[in-house]
This record gives sequence, structure tokens and C-alpha cells, in this order.
Amino acid sequence: MAAIELAGVTKRFGDVTAVDDLDLTVPEGEVFGFLGPNGAGKSTTINMILDFVRPTTGTVRVLGHDAQRESVTVRRRTGVLPEGFDVYDRLTGRKHVEFAIDSKGTDDDPLAVLERVGIADAADRKAGGYSKGMRQRLALGMALVGEPDLLILDEPSSGLDPAGAKEMRDIVRAEAGRGATVFFSSHVLGQVEAVCDRVGILRAGELVAEDSIAGLREAAGGESTLLISVDDATEADLDPVRALPGVSGAATDGDTVTVACDPDAKTEVIASLEERGVTVRDFRTEEASLEDLFLAYTSDGPREVSA
Amino acid sequence: MSWEAIARKDFEDAVRSRWLLALTALFVLLISAVAYIVRPAPGQTFSSNAILGLVNGTLVTTLVPLIALIIAYGAIVGERESGSLKLLLSLPHSRADVVFGKVLGRSAAITLPVVVGFIVPALLLAIGPLQFDAGSYVGYTLLTAFLGAVFVAIAVGFSAAMSSQRLAIAGAIALYLLFVPLWGAAQFPLQLYLVLGGGPEWLPIAGEQLFRVLRLVNPTGSFKIVSGAFLNGGLFSGENASFHAAAAAVLLGWLSLPPLLGLWSFERADL
Repeated sequence: MAAIELAGVTKRFGDVTAVDDLDLTVPEGEVFGFLGPNGAGKSTTINMILDFVRPTTGTVRVLGHDAQRESVTVRRRTGVLPEGFDVYDRLTGRKHVEFAIDSKGTDDDPLAVLERVGIADAADRKAGGYSKGMRQRLALGMALVGEPDLLILDEPSSGLDPAGAKEMRDIVRAEAGRGATVFFSSHVLGQVEAVCDRVGILRAGELVAEDSIAGLREAAGGESTLLISVDDATEADLDPVRALPGVSGAATDGDTVTVACDPDAKTEVIASLEERGVTVRDFRTEEASLEDLFLAYTSDGPREVSA
Repeated sequence: MSWEAIARKDFEDAVRSRWLLALTALFVLLISAVAYIVRPAPGQTFSSNAILGLVNGTLVTTLVPLIALIIAYGAIVGERESGSLKLLLSLPHSRADVVFGKVLGRSAAITLPVVVGFIVPALLLAIGPLQFDAGSYVGYTLLTAFLGAVFVAIAVGFSAAMSSQRLAIAGAIALYLLFVPLWGAAQFPLQLYLVLGGGPEWLPIAGEQLFRVLRLVNPTGSFKIVSGAFLNGGLFSGENASFHAAAAAVLLGWLSLPPLLGLWSFERADL
């Protein structure tokens, strides 16, 4: 059975389409990295999985249940670290975890939970005085209560220092080792690479890639990155480039165009840009890395929507 | 039960609010001041019911609704704006659990200023030459807490339905102004016009009846009917028994309808 199953899911806010006809299946027991730049629709997707927002069209099923009609059942078996959340300023860290234990009806030891996420020494301080990283750890602790079958972590490393981010990855590995499915989002590939079985890359509400890390690496290995210095290139100039055979992605910051492509496609890429009236000053090829591929997939700014 | 967990957490959160502390102090101070001012002169005796009757029409029905609205208007929309609602709804609670848990939690929180507000003057009164009727004193305290709960329910209804704190407080305050000062100012002229003057002829019901209905619909009005009858020892009895029952029913309606309407809207909202 699939842990998460989205079929033809579209979400519009007014006339802004945040998520566009998304199909995504995450099998049970998998660690799935949900990647994309800020505003790509990652949080909106997660919010639909949790029934915070409702899809305009399409269906979302989680752990075999309808995400909307049976949301409480879903959340009983799911641990969530939401994005853009806040704590209860006047309550202590311990009270927060006790509330999670109370709500899920389990018998976890609050202090052991706080110990696990590294803030046991702050257990009896009011959470209003916690730093961003400590709040993040507290919410992760609340998510871990009751050994959930599914963990949904929305940008879990935000606010954490590198050591904290490593602890977060260790916890993800431990939870996966216990058999939990982990679904987490990030806009930084590095955090995902080390722990994920598979990743999906979302850009402007659409899934542009879905593969294992090895698969992505293989795709990246066969390609190179072409860096072209130009006078001025716009998004519109890139559209014909993206349409070329052998090109998997293209991005521009105005005076540099980055294209992930088959080495043979190089000449056509440059010809295509010149045809659009772009002056090519210089170009060089770089050995492709996974990071480049990710950037090529995602660093396409103008279509961002806020999620 | 899920809403119990929310109510418990919400109570613990609300009682730590400085607002609640300040309002409790204000309430205690004002009730004590009234008790002190009207205390019986030496050689006289005075019943505690008379003092309650005095604060009933003035302090209780103006201040308790206001305190309730202040501590409850942000109950849900405040969490929605700060983002703690995401933490709350990450846990297995339905939106109905949130609304009813909040009504319960904040009602418990307003019981605090009410109970403290009546205990302190009770101590003051107990040392005076007073005929202290403990039964009706406790009963009246409970009734006042119930009035608080009614206005908490109204505020939580707004809090669930509105998408910003500003809208929620505006709705709650508008209702308060309508029910308390505006009604207070209009009541006497209206009474003259409708009851003594008989009201406009095109009305299908007599002016006096219309006035009774208007008094009933206002939750502070129906509270005064119920509490007044209670202090006189004639609640649900005598010729006005059905009028008392109607007032009690109106109060129960105000307790349950606003949260239900708020929930109806909250259920449909994208958070």
C-alpha cells in the first residue's frame, strides 16, 4: 500500500495555480525527498496531505485513507513538523510534548522525547523564549510522539545549524529504520541526498523529476553543464532552448545562462540563443554534478507563487 | 477525548495570559469596591442578595461580557495568524474539536476572575453585620460564570469564522456595543414608546410583547431576567415561569449557535 498517493491534484488560490495536476506516489517505508525552490508548491502539497487546505481538483490518500474525510485518522498515525508554525509562548517545552502525548493518547515519557531532540535541559522553560532551532526541535519531538507510521517534515532543517541538521538526518534514518515512511521537503539538495531513497523535484507547481538519487546521478553523469556568458537573456529566450532535444533544464540570471544538456547539444543551444537575438560572449562546459542538475531543474524564478 | 486535551491545554495557556490577570484584578477591585461602599451601617443588617442585585444590573452584565470577549476573540484566529494552529492541527484533532475545546477551555478561564471576583468581597462582607445567604451567593457566582461562557462562545464563534484577528475583535465588539451600551441607552425610551405608548399600530403583536422579545434576544437581557428571578428566589416559578424558561433557552442558544456557525465556516476554510 502507498503511504501517500496524490492523483491529478490541482490547487488554485484565486487565479494563482500553486499546484498543477500533480501525480505522486510514495510507497510505505520509503524516505522521500520533496525538493524544489521556495514557492514551488511544496508546502501547499503538504498542507493538502494534512487537510489544512483542500485541493481544487484531484484526490489525496494517505495511509490508505481519504486525506480530507478521514483526516483525523490519518493524523493519528502521522507525525508532522509543519512549516511556518509557532509554539505556545506561555507554555513550557514539556507542556508542549505532554499535549502531543495527550492528543495522540500514547504513554511516551515527555523528558525522553525532549532528550531525543536535544532540548531536555530547556524542558521547563517557556517555549516563547526558545530560539528558532529549539522551536524546530520541539515540533520534531511532538511529531515523534507515538511512533507514527508516517513522518511529514516540511523544511525540517530550517533554523538548524549544521550539527543540528545532522542530528535531524540521524533521526530521519532511525525512524526509517524502524519502518516509518518519511516524506520531507527541502529547497537544499544536500540535506536530502544523504538520506533519501527517492526524490521528487517540484517547480512552479509541477513535478519535473522523480527518481532515485542514483538515477538522478546517472542522468546527471551523462550530461554536462554549459555556462554561457551573454549580454542579456530572459526567461522567454530559454523556452526554445528547453525545447531542444538533449536539454534537460535551463536557467538564467540575466548575464549567465546555465544549461544542463547532452554535450552534443551544445552547438544547437548556442544557435538557438543567437537566433533569439542574444549575444553570446563566451561559453564553457562544466562537469555535471547532481547540484547542477537540481539547479537547472529549479532555479527558474519568475513563475514562483507563494505557498 | 480530543477536545478535552485542547480544552486543558487552552486553559493552561489562557490562565498564564497577562490580560486575564489584569482583568481579574479589575473585576475583583470593582466588585469589592461596590461591596465596601454599600456595606450596611452599624446597627443595620443587609442581605448579600441585595448587594448581588445591585452588581447584577451594573457591573456583572457590562464587565463579564467584555472580559469574555477580550480573552476569547483570538482563541482560534490568533493561533491561525501566529501559526500555532498548524502545530495544533498536526495532532489528531478535528476542527470541531478545536472549536468546542476552545469554548470549554476559555470558559474555564473566565470562571477564574468570576470566582475570585466574588470570593474576595464575600470575605469582606462576611465580617460585616450581614445576612449572608451562601446558597444564592454561590448560585449567583455560577450563573455569572455561565454568562461568561455565553460570551466566550460568541467570541470563539467569531474567532473560528474570521480570517484575521481584526475582523474577529470588530465583530465581537460590535455585538457588545449593540447588546450593552446601545441597548442600555435605548431601553428606557423604547420601553416608554412600546409598553406605555403601545408601539406602532401596524405591528402584528402588542408593543409590550415586542419589548419583552427584544429584552429576551439580548443575552445580557435574558441573563438579567434569569439572575434577577434567581436572586428573588422565584426562578422558573410563579406567573413568569415560562418567561424565565424562554430567557434560559435564549442563553443556551447564544451558547451553542455562534460556535456552530463559526465551525461551519472554519470547516470550509483553507488555513
